Amino acid sequence: MAYLVMFHWGWLLASLLLGLAMGWIAVVQRGDGVSKVLARWLAGLAAALVAASIVRILPGRFGYWLDLLLVMFACYLVGCAAGSCLRGWVVSRNAPAGPPAGP
Amino acid sequence: MRGLFRLSSKWWPGVIPLVILWAIAAWNNTAPLEADLAARSGAALKDITLDQTRIAVAGRDVTLGADAFSEDGRRSAVASVDAVAGVRLVNDETRLVPEAKPFVWSAERDVVRVTLGGSAPLPAVKGRLVDAAKAALGGVEVADQMGLARGAPARFENAAILLLEQIARLKDGKITISDNKVSLAGMARELGGREAISAALRNLPEGFSVTNDIKAPPYVFQAYKDPVAVTLTLSGYVPDSSTHAAIIHAAGRKFFSEKVVDNLKQSVGAPSGFAAAVVPALGALSRLSTGTLVVSDREVKLSGDALYDGAAAQLRAGLGKDFPQAFQYKADISVKPASAPVDASVCQQLFSNVLGKSKIRFDSGRATIESDSTGLLDRLVETALRCPTAAIEVAGHTDSDGEDAANQALSEKRAQAVVDYLVKAGLPANRFTAVGYGSTEPVADNESDEGKAQNRRIEFLVR
Repeated sequence: MAYLVMFHWGWLLASLLLGLAMGWIAVVQRGDGVSKVLARWLAGLAAALVAASIVRILPGRFGYWLDLLLVMFACYLVGCAAGSCLRGWVVSRNAPAGPPAGP
Repeated sequence: MRGLFRLSSKWWPGVIPLVILWAIAAWNNTAPLEADLAARSGAALKDITLDQTRIAVAGRDVTLGADAFSEDGRRSAVASVDAVAGVRLVNDETRLVPEAKPFVWSAERDVVRVTLGGSAPLPAVKGRLVDAAKAALGGVEVADQMGLARGAPARFENAAILLLEQIARLKDGKITISDNKVSLAGMARELGGREAISAALRNLPEGFSVTNDIKAPPYVFQAYKDPVAVTLTLSGYVPDSSTHAAIIHAAGRKFFSEKVVDNLKQSVGAPSGFAAAVVPALGALSRLSTGTLVVSDREVKLSGDALYDGAAAQLRAGLGKDFPQAFQYKADISVKPASAPVDASVCQQLFSNVLGKSKIRFDSGRATIESDSTGLLDRLVETALRCPTAAIEVAGHTDSDGEDAANQALSEKRAQAVVDYLVKAGLPANRFTAVGYGSTEPVADNESDEGKAQNRRIEFLVR
């Protein structure tokens, strides 16, 4: 894992920044996002890929590509979470400073 | 936290650019990553002795193929690659180098090259053996056809290097180690090479047994009697300085009129009994008018012209009881054409000439003719044959030492012994009279040893 991070740090940083941007946008984005059912399926797919990586079921290059995908995805998620928290914090700090709501 | 979870449904669209990013990363990094892992796996195996190491990397999985020289080495090779950072899996395709039974190694020398064959226990040993062969052989081509195998005997390398030093001493041949048996066959480059190899083989490590069938070039000694130049030319080899001196001394006594030309060289490798065979063979050569003696290993060849039929027959029959049994004797003797007859006065002159150059020698105080004098006696026989009608007195003389009666008897016996030799050679007995004069007719004073030696003599007088 450490080797993967060291070798691909540029790409992981890019994933993190992408996640940060996506998380930043998500807070103020209107709309519903993906449906609960699809989100569940996507989460299930991610879990299945993690399981496949852990048991090393995919050989050779496919295994490496899967590991790379998951590491990038993890960085993306961390970026998203950080971005959303940051934006949430910024939004909540600005709200009391704005004009008070009418009665 | 709940907020994050709620927001996460809005994070999914970013997965599409992430996947694109991933695809680019995978496209760009797969080959460099594989190369990096291959290089570091190779470095991890640097200190482990392996043969035919193959490292193939697919993604982060390393396929390791290698021939190891021990089970420990094989396991540690796999563990070393597995421990390389970034390696996910090691596909173990290693195996042990096959064990050779019997473990055979060979070095063969022919006209142009030395071929190393069979098995070596380790690549490093193989390399050192090739280097040792090149060092021992100078410019000779060394062909390495050695394979690798387990099962070498203890101290194999020391033994093989010692044997490679010996192959430089061979003209052609083969040296083989089979388990702990060493066998050598072939021809030594020089005289004495066989002995030098035998001596070196004593330094073989313990536990090796040796079968040494190295042959040496023939040990050749030659002598040529040239009646025109009046020389005896000796060439070839003698084993040591004492034998050299003994042969030169014997040649001087047996060849009374010839100048001895000594071209002999010293070398080890003579067959045993060399001097005991050469000295009687030189005696036989001294009886020839012209002839060649070749002693090659244990074969003695004498060829040339005897002075008369009886001598030829005797020379064909053998070299006497002192000639060593182990030696083979071959004679190719013809008889010199008889010289023209001469009258009595010339005959006397010829006898005087021959006896002026040398004397018939007897054992001290006895009437037995020394074998060194046979050549001289044959010349006297030949001379007597040239004057078939002359009656000849064979006169014996002694020095003044001892009693007169004893000297008289000794001189008579010695004269008779010479007459017996002449008769045995085929001359009619009635032509010869044996007369003893004791010490009554000295030709020099009897005070000095030199004078006495001159007085002890046999004379031929034509009547």
